[in-house]
Amino acid sequence: MIAVLGLIVGVVVGLVVRPVVPTAVEPYLPIAVVAALDAVFGGLRAMLDGIFDDKVFVVSFLSNVVVAALIVFLGDKLGVGAQLSTGVVVVLGIRIFSNAAAIRRHIFRA
Amino acid sequence: MSTDDTPEMSGEPGRPEKAGEPKKPEKAERPEEAQEPQEPQKPQPGGDPRKGGEAGAAQEPGEPKGPDGPRQPESQPEPESQPEPEPEPGAAPQDGAVPRKESAPAAAPLTGRQRLMNGLWPPRLTRAQLTVAVLLCVLGLGLAIQVRSTSDNSALRGARQEDLVRILDELDNRTKRLEDEKRRLDNQRTELESSSNQAAEARKQTAQKEEQLGVLAGTVAAQGPGIELTVSDAKGAVEADKLLDTIQELRAAGAEAIQINDVRVVADTYFSGSAGKVEIDGKKVSQPYKFKVIGKPQDLEPALNIPGGVVQTLEKEQAGVSVSRSEKIIVDALRPAKRPDYARSSSQ
Repeated sequence: MIAVLGLIVGVVVGLVVRPVVPTAVEPYLPIAVVAALDAVFGGLRAMLDGIFDDKVFVVSFLSNVVVAALIVFLGDKLGVGAQLSTGVVVVLGIRIFSNAAAIRRHIFRA
Repeated sequence: MSTDDTPEMSGEPGRPEKAGEPKKPEKAERPEEAQEPQEPQKPQPGGDPRKGGEAGAAQEPGEPKGPDGPRQPESQPEPESQPEPEPEPGAAPQDGAVPRKESAPAAAPLTGRQRLMNGLWPPRLTRAQLTVAVLLCVLGLGLAIQVRSTSDNSALRGARQEDLVRILDELDNRTKRLEDEKRRLDNQRTELESSSNQAAEARKQTAQKEEQLGVLAGTVAAQGPGIELTVSDAKGAVEADKLLDTIQELRAAGAEAIQINDVRVVADTYFSGSAGKVEIDGKKVSQPYKFKVIGKPQDLEPALNIPGGVVQTLEKEQAGVSVSRSEKIIVDALRPAKRPDYARSSSQ
């Protein structure tokens, strides 16, 4: 419950305050958001599986974000930033889908 | 159900010591278990391992096992940490079989849905909830920022560097083209302006010329300084040629516009008739002959009055002559403009 509230508060704050993102970080924000979404879905699934652990969640959340940003950064340096970020998004998307499928089985039993 | 759980639970070695503690959460959860006695028959648990295979990538299922065991003791002493113990039974795969038998009957049936409900409804202020809330807050923030920035000026925000370079190039080219066009149009405009200026100037000069020529040709009225000459010929002795002499004299003295009675005197004016019945341009003029002359009065008057000049000659003919200067003479007799039939300007 509090977690959901946290999400809502974050969205509202982001919409209301309109914080300015430093230009250096800007290209990595979308990838980081997708990675974080992946972590959140993984966490939700783990919770439904009954194996949720907040420490693991924190670590996986942060490492997901950092690694995703790092991959894009590296891709930019190597000149394949567009392709690499596409790849990252595809992989994370697949994971999100499989996690969502697991969550769905838990919740809808189907 | 129990068959599925067994492999998971049997793996956990750390369980025995905590065997007493987990019971607290179990007690708390019991009401729910009671609500759903059908749990064991559900195929659900059978699906779980399958999922683990599919989504094995998900970090949670594997990772928690390690940290869970050691961490558990810290959080469990607090009675509020119920959400944590609650995952334990499922998450304690390596546990020994001994504790499992104790807890299995109690802990076994908890569906994902129930766990979700547990986490959602009674809002509990636990460390897990708080950390997750903070991270989700960050996620929401990033989400909102990203959504906002992509919806800002969507075309350029999300574009990659190469695209931006290309767009910039295109814009540069376009700017160059437009500037060329602007220069061309500017030139055209200055051309047109200068030509229209020239045209206006030409029109002005033409108008001036027209007025000058109109004064000469007698098609427009004229006014200015000059003299009035009145010749009263009571005896009818003044001949046409005397009047012509007068005109010549006036012209020689610089007269610019001349009118006799109501006839304008111009280049092709002619005098005819005999003394006393003089006609100018075929019009009969009655006496006295009143000359209105525009020119420099100081030149005109002496020119008439010189010894042996017009005035003396006329007086010899017994005519009364009076000359008066005036600062404003109005010559308003007009004659129609005539277009020459044959002569054409050679400058055209």
